[in-house]
Amino acid sequence: MSDVASILQSGPFAHSTNTVQRTMFLVLLALTPATLFNLYLFGWPSIFLFAVTIGSCVVLEGIALLLGGRPLMRTLTDGSAILTGWLLAMTLPPWAPWWIGMLGAVFAILLSKQAFGGLGQNLFNPAMVARVALLVSFPVVMTAWIAPHPLFTDGAPDITQSIAITFGGEMPDGVTAATALGYVKTELSRGIPVSQSLIEYGRGSNLTYTPDLMDLATGYKPGSLGETSAILILLGGLYLIRKRIITWHIPAMVLGTLFIIGTAFNLLDSSRFAPGLFHVFSGATFLGAFFIATDYVTSPVSIRGQIVFGIGIGLLTWVIRTFAGYPEGMAFAVLLMNSLTPIIDQYTRPRLFGRTSKGEPLPIKVQA
Amino acid sequence: MTLHFNKESTYTHAIILGIFCLGFGVFLALTEWITHDSVLARAMEDRQNSLSQVMPAEIHDNNPVLDTLTIQDGEGRDITVYRARKAGLVTGVAYETFGSGYAGQMKYMIGVDANGYLLGVRVLSHKETPGLGDKIEIKKGDWILQFTGLSIGNPPIEKWKVKKDGGQFDQFTGATITPRGAVKAILNGLQFFDAHRAQLLEVN
Amino acid sequence: MATANYNRIIRDGLWDNNGVLVMLLGMCPTMAMTTSATNGLGMGLATAVVMAASNLMVAAFRNYITQEVRIPVYILIVAANVTFVDLTMNAWMHELYKVLGLFIPLIVSNCLPLARLESFASKEPVMPALMDGIFMGLGFTLALTLIGAIREITGSGTLFADASLLLGPAFTFMELRIMPADMGVLMMILPPGGFLVTGLVVVGKRLLDLRAGKSIQMAGAHSV
Repeated sequence: MSDVASILQSGPFAHSTNTVQRTMFLVLLALTPATLFNLYLFGWPSIFLFAVTIGSCVVLEGIALLLGGRPLMRTLTDGSAILTGWLLAMTLPPWAPWWIGMLGAVFAILLSKQAFGGLGQNLFNPAMVARVALLVSFPVVMTAWIAPHPLFTDGAPDITQSIAITFGGEMPDGVTAATALGYVKTELSRGIPVSQSLIEYGRGSNLTYTPDLMDLATGYKPGSLGETSAILILLGGLYLIRKRIITWHIPAMVLGTLFIIGTAFNLLDSSRFAPGLFHVFSGATFLGAFFIATDYVTSPVSIRGQIVFGIGIGLLTWVIRTFAGYPEGMAFAVLLMNSLTPIIDQYTRPRLFGRTSKGEPLPIKVQA
Repeated sequence: MTLHFNKESTYTHAIILGIFCLGFGVFLALTEWITHDSVLARAMEDRQNSLSQVMPAEIHDNNPVLDTLTIQDGEGRDITVYRARKAGLVTGVAYETFGSGYAGQMKYMIGVDANGYLLGVRVLSHKETPGLGDKIEIKKGDWILQFTGLSIGNPPIEKWKVKKDGGQFDQFTGATITPRGAVKAILNGLQFFDAHRAQLLEVN
Repeated sequence: MATANYNRIIRDGLWDNNGVLVMLLGMCPTMAMTTSATNGLGMGLATAVVMAASNLMVAAFRNYITQEVRIPVYILIVAANVTFVDLTMNAWMHELYKVLGLFIPLIVSNCLPLARLESFASKEPVMPALMDGIFMGLGFTLALTLIGAIREITGSGTLFADASLLLGPAFTFMELRIMPADMGVLMMILPPGGFLVTGLVVVGKRLLDLRAGKSIQMAGAHSV
């Protein structure tokens, strides 16, 4: 369609500075502080994995575009493949081998994005599809969390060791540590009450490294490559809200629901249910709420729809964390709500100007 | 082909349907009659096969599938015990024992000889995570074989735990809860034997 | 109809109008039973037997089955044949029965036999109906075996594992190990892998047809 034709055919004619490129760039900018912090925290292996994942996503996007005969440069430079790869890398265990990143890119870009028709056509969030596919397929590798090994400190792997970790798959002994969610879940299953295992996790009686509750929020703790720092992710998220890239509704609903339901059940039985604040500051809660659930393509359009969507994610995350087989439920919750997005959109359709909510013309009042 | 009745009448449809039901009913009755004995024999073989994995053929000259006993365990479940006999004396027993895994109940079949030593253990059903917890299956690894020959006291009871809890049994990479539950289930099974030893070994 | 076009029936059944790859019927056994090539093959063959027998019977009785009671009669016939296969397999092909046993009764709910009875066997003479049943069934087998093979290779690294249980000890040579088991992508043998591979195989079939210059026949029916 030529530019002239499009101008003649459709209004409104107001121009917006928001392009796909600008949006993607701002999201990447908002992700940068949390990412840099985690790359520092987990060292060279995580940097390699990060590069491999993003590189694979961009290359595969290019191949898919070539195969589909679609314009290569325009789509490749919009940054969407980089963002998908970036988000996917942030949800991987930081010292996972290179092929995890590459296979993840195949799931994300080829199967859940391009197979559905490319940017804007996918039903499910590509990064989350890839993460769940990897988790289900390689449960051992995908749950090998490591204790923080900051760059340039004692005990951090040097470049050669890091190459062996990422590209040779040689995980050193004694570096793994349970995440808080995983630890509490494992202990509960052998009959240790949540309230007690939370204290133990903070004290560090069972682990090579254990954070206290303050560390849970700042992010000096085991976790996936980009999720650990709730505070830096929150900063990035607030920046996006200020720049009007996202609205506050989805993140607030996700965090609020998780906090309320977590607190309520914790008050009922603190030996079985973890506190609300613990849920909010653990795992991928902040990353999911601000950066993954707010994906334009896979979340509802209207504000009312986004509120339902956010509540649903918070609720499902809590249910999966508490009752299901996996300690973290954010990715599953986002995917389940993605599949409901078309229905939510259907039922929260805004009223057309000049029409009733059912689409009938407004009744004309005839003056007597 | 012309039919000599009114195709439109409701009775006609009912009669046609009735005739087909009758015809195929007879057909199925015949099939069932012919296969009946074979099917029963296969079911018996299946039971014997699964028992022979936990009770070696050398220790008995009877058919354990037919020599059963029902005892209530500590939690009020009816446990069916299959007994192996040689020359009338009970040489071993096999029964189900239960443990809780990462994702619900796991069911084991254990065989115990007359002195309380394990003859073999197999998992009958479980819902553990594929690739992590399912190494308890004989198809996925020989972890479950290490229990053969053990008893309460060998190792001592405080060692009937996974290594992570200070015991002697390996946990799996990435999965502690499943082996923990398995060890517990097997230990429970042995304690069941101790509690009912006289009744289990009684010659009647 | 003068003489039936057997060539057409065979081509339709195996490829052009394949029950799974074109009509997208019988998705339930397609998803559930294709965790290995052997399972797919066994399920496909059992379904083929049921389809051939049901098509034959319906074609033979087609002048006696009135319009109003045809659906109950069709289901009766399919169910009777399934029960027959179930009992005989349990009695005389017990090893295979232990693998497929749970899924044999599901053939009753498979839309493909019912669809062929309604659209083909009820209108055609006995011979073409029998051929249609056999080749639709073999086409189903082909699709299930192909999907099963892809899922088995990627998921557990083997091909035709346990084929000797299905076909007899002479076929042990078919049991291959392509790569070590711990390299398998576990998801492929779980339900999501079934949807994924089925989708990709449908795409692959259409690409082949496009390349051969055929027009793509769109799926017209929905499955249960």
